[in-house]
Amino acid sequence: MSAAGRVAVLAWAVLMAGCAWIAWHARYTADVSAFLPRTPSPSQQILVDELRQGVVSRLILVGIEGAPAPVLTTLSQALADRLAHEADFAYVNNGSQSRLAADGEFLLRHRYLLSPGVTPERFTAAGLREALENDLALLGSAFGTLVSRLLPSDPTGEFLRLLELLEPEAGPRKQDGVWFSPDGTRALLLLQTRAAGFDIDAQERALARIRVAFDAAAAQQGAVQARLLATGPGVFAVSARAGIQQDVSRISLLAALLVSVLLLVVYRSPRALLLTLLPAASGATAGVAAVSLAFGSVHGVTLGFGATLLGEGVDYAIYLFTNTAPGSTPRRSLARIWPTLTLGVLTSAVGFSALLLSQFTGLAQLGLFSIVGLIVAYVVTRYVLPELIPNHFAVRPAAALGSAFAWLAGRAGWLRLPLLGLVVLSAVWLASLGSALWDDRLESLSPVAESDKRLDEAMRRELGAPDVRYLVVAAAASQQAVLRAAEGVGAELERSQRAGSLGGFESPALILPSDVTQRARQTAIPGAGVLRENLDQAADGLPFQPQLFEPFLQEASAARQAPLINAADLKGTGLALRLESLLTERHDGWMAMLPLRAVREPAAVAGDLRGVNGVHLLDLKAEANALYRSYRGQALRFALIGAGAIALLLLASLRSPRRAAEALLPLAAAVLVTCALLSLGARQLTIFNLVGLLLVVGVGSNYTLFFERETFARTDPQRTLVSLACCNASTVIGFGLLSLARAPVLSAIGTTVAVGAFLSLLFGAILAAGRAARG
Amino acid sequence: MIELGEVQHAKARFVERRYLKVLKSPLELTGTLAYDAPDRLVKRTLEPKPETLTVEDDRLVIEIQARARTLRLEDYPVVWAFVESFRSTLKGDLAALARFYRVALEGGPQRWQLSLTPRDPKMSALIESILIGGSGRRIGRIEIREAQGDRSVMTVVEDAQ
Repeated sequence: MSAAGRVAVLAWAVLMAGCAWIAWHARYTADVSAFLPRTPSPSQQILVDELRQGVVSRLILVGIEGAPAPVLTTLSQALADRLAHEADFAYVNNGSQSRLAADGEFLLRHRYLLSPGVTPERFTAAGLREALENDLALLGSAFGTLVSRLLPSDPTGEFLRLLELLEPEAGPRKQDGVWFSPDGTRALLLLQTRAAGFDIDAQERALARIRVAFDAAAAQQGAVQARLLATGPGVFAVSARAGIQQDVSRISLLAALLVSVLLLVVYRSPRALLLTLLPAASGATAGVAAVSLAFGSVHGVTLGFGATLLGEGVDYAIYLFTNTAPGSTPRRSLARIWPTLTLGVLTSAVGFSALLLSQFTGLAQLGLFSIVGLIVAYVVTRYVLPELIPNHFAVRPAAALGSAFAWLAGRAGWLRLPLLGLVVLSAVWLASLGSALWDDRLESLSPVAESDKRLDEAMRRELGAPDVRYLVVAAAASQQAVLRAAEGVGAELERSQRAGSLGGFESPALILPSDVTQRARQTAIPGAGVLRENLDQAADGLPFQPQLFEPFLQEASAARQAPLINAADLKGTGLALRLESLLTERHDGWMAMLPLRAVREPAAVAGDLRGVNGVHLLDLKAEANALYRSYRGQALRFALIGAGAIALLLLASLRSPRRAAEALLPLAAAVLVTCALLSLGARQLTIFNLVGLLLVVGVGSNYTLFFERETFARTDPQRTLVSLACCNASTVIGFGLLSLARAPVLSAIGTTVAVGAFLSLLFGAILAAGRAARG
Repeated sequence: MIELGEVQHAKARFVERRYLKVLKSPLELTGTLAYDAPDRLVKRTLEPKPETLTVEDDRLVIEIQARARTLRLEDYPVVWAFVESFRSTLKGDLAALARFYRVALEGGPQRWQLSLTPRDPKMSALIESILIGGSGRRIGRIEIREAQGDRSVMTVVEDAQ
């Protein structure tokens, strides 16, 4: 080993140790937010925040089933009691009344500052008379008991009005005091984690706490047959990460095994096998480390590419070994094939670099991982591998293999016409599909299994958990200003509600009115003397007991001087959590969110809101889909830029339009036919297929470059063919196995690249044979 | 009681007097009751303010002035006590009654009185007892005594079937 060689090997060893250390300590994520834009528009920002850390992202829906109802009730109660004391949960509810007591007490205590019913007219003699007559009617109704208890302190019914404003009408079904599914087989709980939905480690911890608490409760009850179900965005993220990790490790292992078998068959040398895997393994490690350093975390999907990089990274070593004839040295064969390999790496890197520009962290990570991985694999092949190969070491690929390939390649020329037909057919088919080719739903990116989605939908329905679609958003510089804005929006929304275009809405200002509004309510209540006079006048002739309303007179007067409510007063109530989800502080001010219920005419609601400044109506579903469309458009643009850059690179380095065309033509044909094949199964293509196609161009260009006439003429045709077949087989193995993964992103990319890479080689061979036959 | 269980449909008029602590004189309500076996009960108040209560299974629908609210029966214990005692009595379902109340039966088939005392402490915090009087397969009188001292007495006059 030369001195320079020793330096190279040492540098490599140190670098790899560093990369492995970084990769080992990297934080791995799997949430959908990596596939959300990094610099979104204001309305996208709201969507992204909601998905990442909004209240909806923190919900965990829990079901207990598989035991008789009384056992389920006990388990529900025990689980709720245990979890209510855990710091990981901000909110635990299983429907039992006692958990809501704190809210009721708060509303009752502050009713005169909170209720929109508190107006000057309400406390005139006429207003009070109307209220008392209404009370009399209510005493005869089903609400009689409740009203008669509240009557002495709240004859104007502010407390009941607040309850009605803040409580949805019919909650989940109850049995023995806790929530149950309508068929009575499943006890239900609603939990909210303190940590944001995107914090998968925290979500995983919260889930573990639920399991531990449940197991303890079940063991105590001797209810071994009872099952725990949990669903929600955090649960999905946790299981997606686990699923991806499991898939990735299994597929990587299997891919390594199969590629090893393949290489053993071809090389018949374990040492050559190990040396071949070296550049790929180095590349993958460096790729993970680079992503971890650049992004702070590594997405599971990026990790999935470890398996595929294995399929591609081994290529360089394969070219090196198969092209080294006995009696020659690796260095000499390097000199021969190196220009082509360099160009191959460059084209791949240029193709992937388009991804780096992407707004979407997920895609940018894929780009960085692939570029770093390939370049490291290439550099290791060039400078480290030759140092590790003993002198006079040469592999003898099965000779029969070379001549068989040569025979096949020589006769592939007649397939040119059928290939042309296939390409034309594919183009026509794709053109006829038009935009129907693409799946435009953001959900198509979701790594959640269909059965999990169905369970989630069922439990969400049973619990009536929020599934927000329409949202009015108001922004302002201060908390008070944004509450004022929310009150303005609320007034307009009430108009829409009366007109029937809207079922109802929530507002932070209902829980925490602005100071201005609270003060206005205080002044709406007349002084003690006037109030007593008005009340006496109002009660005249009605059958109420004398002195009955003393508590009311006292409490209403006290409310006039009471300190105004602020957010801190809500501590310990469920309302605090609700307020927190509706009112948030941002770096540039405050934002209020008003989720709408049962929107029947969105256009009419939007029309009513037109007059209010700094406010907009968001349709989160439409936003999500628009986001995805822009995402796809962007990916398509980057793919085209990447393809264009590759074409330019080939043109510049081969210095001949004809040679560049010979390298590019089979790629274009492969991409077209792959697209058509993928869409044949009546499946719509997603953004992941698009990324896969970009990879096809990157990987396939290596093959077609070797088939390009002048390059092919310089090499040993049989050895080149064997190495190409070998590389292709390892790539197809790597990506083909990936297509078995459960995560849509991995399986879509796997399928696309496996098919596309194979077609690139095939078409390259056919066109090269055709040229040979002609020329 | 066994005879009561054979009731499939029943319609009746009622007069209810509510003696409330907050009022100097009792409230008087009149209206109709309709029962369909096994679970559906409709109480329609006509005077002084129209109100319709429909109970089916565990759901309570309250209609006041064209506005319908669907509620859980469980959240309205006094209504529930009334409904359950009435329904179960008409069903002749002594077992269901015994699940919620300690039951005492006095008198003979011609003239009987059931007195029900809630078993559940949450319920007994609200309701002291319910007295149901009747003759043969007819219910004639229901008195609900609330723990806080309020009381309502309903007189039922059944229509001919």
